[in-house]
Amino acid sequence: MDKRAEESPEGVSRRHFLKGAGAAAAVVTVAKIPSVVDAGHEVSDDPVILGPGSIPITLKVNGVSREIEAPPSTTLLDMLREYHRLTGTKRVCDRGSCGACTVLLDGRIVDSCSMLAIDAVGREITTVEGIGTPQNLTDLQQAFVEKDALQCGFCTPGMVVSCTALLNQNPTPDRDQIRQGIAGNICRCGTYQNIIEAVEHASRKGGK
Amino acid sequence: MRQFKVALPNSIEQASALQKSVDVPFIAGGTDLLARIKEYIDTPDLVVDLKRIEGLGEITSTGQGIRIGALVTMDDVATNRLVAEGFPALVETIGNAATPQIRNMATIGGNICQKPRCWYLRHEGYSCAKNGGSGCWAREGENEFHAIFGNQVCAVTHPSNMAPVLVAYGASIEIQSSESKSSDGTLEKRQVEAEQFFLTPEQDPTREVALKPGEIVTAVLLPAKNRTDQWSYAEAREKQSFDWAQASVTVLYQRGGRSGDHRVILGAVSPAPLRRADLEEIIGSRALDADCIQALQEKIGEGAHPLSQNGYKVPMLRGLMAKAIRNLNGEKKEG
Repeated sequence: MDKRAEESPEGVSRRHFLKGAGAAAAVVTVAKIPSVVDAGHEVSDDPVILGPGSIPITLKVNGVSREIEAPPSTTLLDMLREYHRLTGTKRVCDRGSCGACTVLLDGRIVDSCSMLAIDAVGREITTVEGIGTPQNLTDLQQAFVEKDALQCGFCTPGMVVSCTALLNQNPTPDRDQIRQGIAGNICRCGTYQNIIEAVEHASRKGGK
Repeated sequence: MRQFKVALPNSIEQASALQKSVDVPFIAGGTDLLARIKEYIDTPDLVVDLKRIEGLGEITSTGQGIRIGALVTMDDVATNRLVAEGFPALVETIGNAATPQIRNMATIGGNICQKPRCWYLRHEGYSCAKNGGSGCWAREGENEFHAIFGNQVCAVTHPSNMAPVLVAYGASIEIQSSESKSSDGTLEKRQVEAEQFFLTPEQDPTREVALKPGEIVTAVLLPAKNRTDQWSYAEAREKQSFDWAQASVTVLYQRGGRSGDHRVILGAVSPAPLRRADLEEIIGSRALDADCIQALQEKIGEGAHPLSQNGYKVPMLRGLMAKAIRNLNGEKKEG
């Protein structure tokens, strides 16, 4: 994206201002979350009860582990956007019906709005920020550009994540398999045809 | 979203003991519960997260059949070799459900315990028989997708695509609770046949499944004896993704069998999956020909009481019934 488009004349971008204002105040640590790996090896009879206030939550996002404090009731989507400041993952329906919030969890697509962040502890999370960069697009992202596979662009991060997962699992999908692969992603502009062509194009290039 | 505490039990006993009232919900995949909390339909102060309990995430062969742990995701059920070999109708019905993302998250235990999708029930402003009040708004209101059978007390349809297929296969639901321990201190396992697990509003309008407070679904058990069946699953829905069936017909057919050997289960037309012994009787030991299809079509609407907007479900069922029988015959599969 052209950087100027995001920045105000004063040099403070709307997005960065909002991010700063939204930063949570420091809250007392309540308890550590047992990771999935640790489960079952604890002998205590009383289960860990977290919250409702903030607790440290360590997530591995795009290969980097970070501990950030947030309430245990935080969804993975809100954790990524509001706390990790990764705003590529979009919030649209917030009910698991549109796919704009799609991320990879251990390589499989999930709606990040419909799960708790604490249930992603110990797992590999990949957001659209972890798939290519503006300077180094993946073949699929380049194909989205070349095939004009977006209009307003709001569904695009989720589409890219879903199509990346599809090509990882099946490098040569047919049209029906592509349709199945993006069945959980809604494009309100109706650009499906170009998205399907972009996936076919990336597939022919042998890329992902 | 409203904030709440989250308990992380590491055993079924811990989780069960925590659920002291129905206001403390369990969370597994989260796809249904979190949406209800966001809509203020459920306002729990504490949610019990089942994800860290070991032993609930595997599909295993038991000798008598297969055991699907309650935390196995829908996609892992649908892509499992044991399931595909023995229970192909389950693979078919899961493939039609929700979206790829949801199928990677939602668990089989949560799927069979999800709340119905009635828009009155899922609106914080309506009180009805199902949430502790009285009456059913859908009966006189907007009821296009509601039940045509068994809808006098409450007209919800059962939302699980899998449920009618589980009933057809004679599945059992394995349930455990901290209340019932055997002499060595381990939790006893109660088994309820799927047909009895799903409750009708006449049995109890406030519950969809036969779980008491503190009881947890730990597995779905599928008996091996159905492996030779021919099967067919036909459904209709308005949209091919993130939607619920308007009607479905599951048929298991035992070649050379008699009426009691077949299964005909209707889905999405009643508050609980609807087994139709009268249709199984018609199939009986006769040829699956045009006469058989006609007899089934004449019978299938019997007992239906359509509401103002859902009368279309009766002819829809007739069409699905014919499609299901033709697909059983090995004719080209219709989509």
